[in-house]
Amino acid sequence: MRRMRALAALAVLALLPLPALAQQAPATGSARVSYKVLPYVKASVTPNYQSGFGPIGGLGSGSTPAVGSGAVLDGGTVDFGNVVVGYQYLYKYAAQVNVQTNDTSGFIVYAEGATDLNGSNPTPSPATYPLFQTLYWLVSNAANTAFSPATSFNSTTSGTPLGVNGANGISYPGSPPGSASVWSTTTAGTLAEGYDYQLRLSSAMPTSQFNVYIVYTVVGN
Amino acid sequence: MRGRHLVALLGLAAVAALAMFSQADALQSNRAYKYVVLTVVITPSPAPVGFLKPATHGAAIADAGGGVRPPATGALAFVATAPSASVAQLAADPFATPVQLASAGTAWDVAPGLAPFELAQAQAQPTPVPVQFVAKADPNAQYIHTIPHTGELDAGYGSNTYTCAFEIYTYYTTAYTLTDWGYGTTKSGSGTYPVLNYPSTSDLAWQVPDLSSTVHAYSNSGSPGETTWTGTAGEKQQHCFNLTLTVPATEPAGTYTATIQYNLMTN
Repeated sequence: MRRMRALAALAVLALLPLPALAQQAPATGSARVSYKVLPYVKASVTPNYQSGFGPIGGLGSGSTPAVGSGAVLDGGTVDFGNVVVGYQYLYKYAAQVNVQTNDTSGFIVYAEGATDLNGSNPTPSPATYPLFQTLYWLVSNAANTAFSPATSFNSTTSGTPLGVNGANGISYPGSPPGSASVWSTTTAGTLAEGYDYQLRLSSAMPTSQFNVYIVYTVVGN
Repeated sequence: MRGRHLVALLGLAAVAALAMFSQADALQSNRAYKYVVLTVVITPSPAPVGFLKPATHGAAIADAGGGVRPPATGALAFVATAPSASVAQLAADPFATPVQLASAGTAWDVAPGLAPFELAQAQAQPTPVPVQFVAKADPNAQYIHTIPHTGELDAGYGSNTYTCAFEIYTYYTTAYTLTDWGYGTTKSGSGTYPVLNYPSTSDLAWQVPDLSSTVHAYSNSGSPGETTWTGTAGEKQQHCFNLTLTVPATEPAGTYTATIQYNLMTN
């Protein structure tokens, strides 16, 4: 009789689900979860970003510069209009770079010409004119003049222009060159910086209509 | 009656003489003017060079691994930097603290023990900014124009020279004088580096080797400035300008601008 009871108890135990057994021997542990917060950088550039944009200067040329028809507030072209070779001009509020990033190391903004200045109407010979030491940039300031210290733009040498004359930007094999840096910061958040452009026209420049695309690239640190 | 006429004639002659000689300069007018804009970039001096100080004889040496070993006999003892505790910490547990880095697809943010590898960086390239202008001919170019050769003067501390930094061409149908002064300078005041303002002496100087070996500090007291050269009626001239820039030790590294106004004064 006892044997029968023992066998019946074993049969009942065998039928019990395993969790029930586990509950009888509780155990604790920890799981390590690693995750990465991917840094992101978003950027936009607004030409003619503030009321009062447009060219000034041309001292001694005998003419007063006026903004060209391609410029509109918060968009369009940085259009100096008619300028006289051999003189200097300042284009106020030419472009504002807006950056949003969660990268706590900050970011660097680079700017280069997609090409040299492309001449047309009439097409000069050669068809391009060096961007270097013709078009300059400086951080916007109400006190800026055509003679304020500024840094020259370069046309890209390490990147490949995309689209006609670089209208779609520049493809870089890595980052743009350090010499093209225009803004560097070590903070995250939503930040903006505005720029004026300067034209310093050599007397040797041919008379023509010139165009160029300035490409801004933002790289997280 | 005759005497009165004589006195009147003498008076007229005196006035004419005064007008010709005393006011000769005032008769010249500024036919055209140009600006030469020079960007000066001062590069910083190298960082101060330190040296390893020999430790006193018998001093213990801290090695790179954080240990301290006794100095070798007869060898120089060097004071090394203290080892970083974070190095050992990182080696033991690279994930001890959160590290926010872009991943290159590996299990580790920065794999320990491996050679350096390139991390992908977040990039953004907004729509490019189109820039446009229509360059028109300069009506004054036949009388005066500038030919830049060195738009940017890269300078170190001390004296820097630039050969034929730019050229100027002048011509006019009558006798003329080319004058110059630092743009924006006044009779007396304060100006920015490098041209400064009288009574300070400009740190930028010029020389026209075709005409003279004399080096002139740029005039920096506004109009009428100094005479650069003179020309006879119909004379065409084009000369190189050598520049000398002095960078004092007190001047911070950075970008500066020197703007010189050149004036074609004609009768």
